[in-house]
Amino acid sequence: MSDKLKQIINKQNQKATEEVDHSDEIVQLVGFIIGEEEYAVPILSIQEIIKPIGWTRVPQTPQYILGVFNLRGSVIPLIDLRVKFGLSAKNHNEETRFFVLKQGDEVAGFVIDRLTMAIRINKGDIGPAPDTIDSDDSMIEGVGKQEGRILTILKVNKLLERDF
Amino acid sequence: MDEFQEILQDFLIESFELIEQLDHDLVELESTPEDLELLNGIFRVAHTVKGASSFLNFDVLTHLTHHMEDVLNKARHGDLLITPDVMDVILESVDLMKALLETIRDTSADSGIDVADCVAKLDKCSGGDGKVDTPVVVETPVVKEVSEVVEVEAEDEDELDYDSMDADEIEAEIERLLNTRQEEDKAKRAAKIASGEAVPSAPSVIDETPKEESKPQETPKEEPKPTPTQAPVPVKPTSAPSKDTKDDAKAAAPVKKAPAPVEQTIRVDVKRLDHLMNLIGELVLAKNRLIKINDDVEERYEGEEFLEELNQVVSIVSLVTTDLQIAVMKTRMLPIGKVFNKFPRMIRDLTRELNKQIELEISGEDTELDKSIVEVIGDPLVHIIRNSCDHGIEMPADRVAAGKEEMGTIKLKAYNEGNAIVIQIDDDGKGLDADMLKNKSLEKGIITEKEADSMSDKEAFTLIFKPGFSTAAQVTNVSGRGVGMDVVKTNIEKLNGIIDIESEIGVGTSLKLKIPLTLAIIQALLVGVQEEHYAIPLASVLETVRISQDEIYTVENRSVMRLRDEVLSLVHIGDIFEVERILDSSEHAYVVVLGLGSSKLGLIVDTLIGQEEIVIKSLGEYLKGIEGIAGATIRGDGGVTLIVDVAALMQMARGVKASVVNEVNNSAKLTNEKSKASDYKVMIVDDSKTDRMIMRKALEPLGITLVEANDGQEALNTLKSGEHNFDAMLIDIEMPRMDGYSLAGEIKKYNKYKNLPLIAVTSRTGKADRMRGVESGMVEYITKPYSADYLSSVVQRNVNFKSEFL
Repeated sequence: MSDKLKQIINKQNQKATEEVDHSDEIVQLVGFIIGEEEYAVPILSIQEIIKPIGWTRVPQTPQYILGVFNLRGSVIPLIDLRVKFGLSAKNHNEETRFFVLKQGDEVAGFVIDRLTMAIRINKGDIGPAPDTIDSDDSMIEGVGKQEGRILTILKVNKLLERDF
Repeated sequence: MDEFQEILQDFLIESFELIEQLDHDLVELESTPEDLELLNGIFRVAHTVKGASSFLNFDVLTHLTHHMEDVLNKARHGDLLITPDVMDVILESVDLMKALLETIRDTSADSGIDVADCVAKLDKCSGGDGKVDTPVVVETPVVKEVSEVVEVEAEDEDELDYDSMDADEIEAEIERLLNTRQEEDKAKRAAKIASGEAVPSAPSVIDETPKEESKPQETPKEEPKPTPTQAPVPVKPTSAPSKDTKDDAKAAAPVKKAPAPVEQTIRVDVKRLDHLMNLIGELVLAKNRLIKINDDVEERYEGEEFLEELNQVVSIVSLVTTDLQIAVMKTRMLPIGKVFNKFPRMIRDLTRELNKQIELEISGEDTELDKSIVEVIGDPLVHIIRNSCDHGIEMPADRVAAGKEEMGTIKLKAYNEGNAIVIQIDDDGKGLDADMLKNKSLEKGIITEKEADSMSDKEAFTLIFKPGFSTAAQVTNVSGRGVGMDVVKTNIEKLNGIIDIESEIGVGTSLKLKIPLTLAIIQALLVGVQEEHYAIPLASVLETVRISQDEIYTVENRSVMRLRDEVLSLVHIGDIFEVERILDSSEHAYVVVLGLGSSKLGLIVDTLIGQEEIVIKSLGEYLKGIEGIAGATIRGDGGVTLIVDVAALMQMARGVKASVVNEVNNSAKLTNEKSKASDYKVMIVDDSKTDRMIMRKALEPLGITLVEANDGQEALNTLKSGEHNFDAMLIDIEMPRMDGYSLAGEIKKYNKYKNLPLIAVTSRTGKADRMRGVESGMVEYITKPYSADYLSSVVQRNVNFKSEFL
């Protein structure tokens, strides 16, 4: 039986490994707009993306922390990325979304202006953050280039880190 | 190996439990040395530990407990009087036993602790009359004894009382030899419970012994005992006296015989209970939500038949949820006796150390508390009681001089009060001297002179909780470092508890700790400030009062009010939580009087919403430690409400100056200079597109900017968004979601819209309608149909339209 069968199995194995290799080079991101710029975070760090819902202000916090909101029974902080990035606050509109990011036990919601799309990008197309930005403190993981546009890829752990 | 580990774990858990009880029993024993029931209980512990440890090959522990057992056995049979000296030795051995058990827990071996010294002392106690000569290894000597006993019994009558004792030994040995360890583990649990049942039999046995001693010729009674002892199955009869020793493993029969109900227990991992509690928390939230929805539905479909049914279901669900919550809470409850148990021993040690005479009276040890609280409450109580012993109770000579009894008393009691448990510690010592406390604090720089002057006695008492405060002239072993009471305060406050001190010089001091029953679900008072809501733990709320603005005075830049005989300092919740004042503050305000220990604070809020059961949720890692906020809860409407941290709030209130009421009423007049016609902005609120069109047509010639809204709700949102500064609003009365009257009412709540002209445009022509319009704040009332010119002129008049733009 077996020669043919072996061949097929081998082929399949090869294919499988090829696929793994292939996906290893591709990074999947979700892009979004804040102000004028397009940013992205790894798709696996996103717990969910929801339309804006009500929140409760928390006193004694910096401006960019809008407060907390109820996500199916969990109380989750809500951060306005516009304000955090030094832009002025803006009223929420039809396109506004809450990005719920998760890393380990830490979860937080981030307000973004507009979603763009899910992006598959080759690792090779991601460059380091500009030298002028101190790499340890920076929120920028790298800069992705694709079809003429530039994506700023953010560090999820930095976003979820309390800095006040 | 795994099996061994399992047995070992069981053994350790059990032993620690037993020892906890032991300390308590031993001290009690010292005061009532003739209490045989107690003695039997203590003996049982030593015996149990010995048996189990020998099975597990912990030789050192076996060695030690065996000697303890000897001493206790003597005492049990009246051969040894429990004097304080003997007790010292026993207690020392118990301590050693604890240390050994801890070593076993950590290293799985019992080496490294020298017990020889203690064993020697124990031997000295027991060895007085020689019969039980200190066997070094358990096994052989005891086996020897078996034969000895048999002989002894045959010949000597005056040593009769020994046989029962030796019988115990025999029995223990046989048990051990039978390797009934695992069974025993189970049995011991049963025995612990059954000890109640075993007790009745104990006195009868013991009754015999003295009788036998006094009248040795009364043989018939003990006859049945010796005979079977010689037989190869001697266990049965002897097990009668030693049933209390925990032989139930072998004999299921005695248990059945026992009339006492056998309590059945299961050990459950606390994590599972925590999880269960979390789930219940979710359920409570859902219940709150359901109730809210039910209310809404009721309003909407009044009179419908299905409402009745819905009502029933909702009330059943909420009833069962509440019961369920209580039931789960109960599974986490432990009697506070678990904590209290260690105090008799502590007092005893302290009295000897301090050369004082102190008696501890405990009551209410059955009062139950959540496990997490029981764990935290221990340390504070230790500090308080040490403090009472060291600083409260005087030396015996001083007490006599003061006309008191030589023996000081500390009363420790626990009882339920509403949704809280109160632990009260009273001593009849010298009491707290407010002036002395103030002077000491001044010396140490804890308070300023000014503060000292304005301090009431009660406030002065709380100085003892300040870190670094100590009245002791020198640091002793017991206290004087100025740490203890500070720990008490922080720990109790962590539990949302309240401390209250009362004291009278020369009479005594009474400390009350009021602690909520559980931590996860609490009763809270919901208050509103502007558009925000906050939950205040009800345990810290003393009362609420409604006051008018002119009842608030300003003293030294702080707001205060008079509450009965007291002056209460006030702070506005909005000042603490930086709430923007957008709504008009009314004539009246509510003051929530918060109490934490003896400090009080009046918190001014805009509205009181009500009392609700809330589930405490953490704000998460990102937002933890926000000053003044203890957590959050989810309300019936799905919104999040923050829970106020009362202790922190009181701290924060000190830094807040009195802006409270005298805020500048900056009537936000929208006097933006108009440079062209399109600077004027008017909102048209009407649900009919045609009507909006007609209005637009009428106003467009003016060149002003028009914004449209479909209904009241939308209009309000547009207004609140602040995108436009409106100069006037045209409002239809009949609209879905929010009608014109409600809209006008809502708008007029805001300070800055006080002067915004609202013009009703409606087909309602009744006088009553007009009146309602005026009441809700409308300035003009235009009835449909109207001419375009008329509308235009009304609008022009109201927005002060400058004619040059025409």
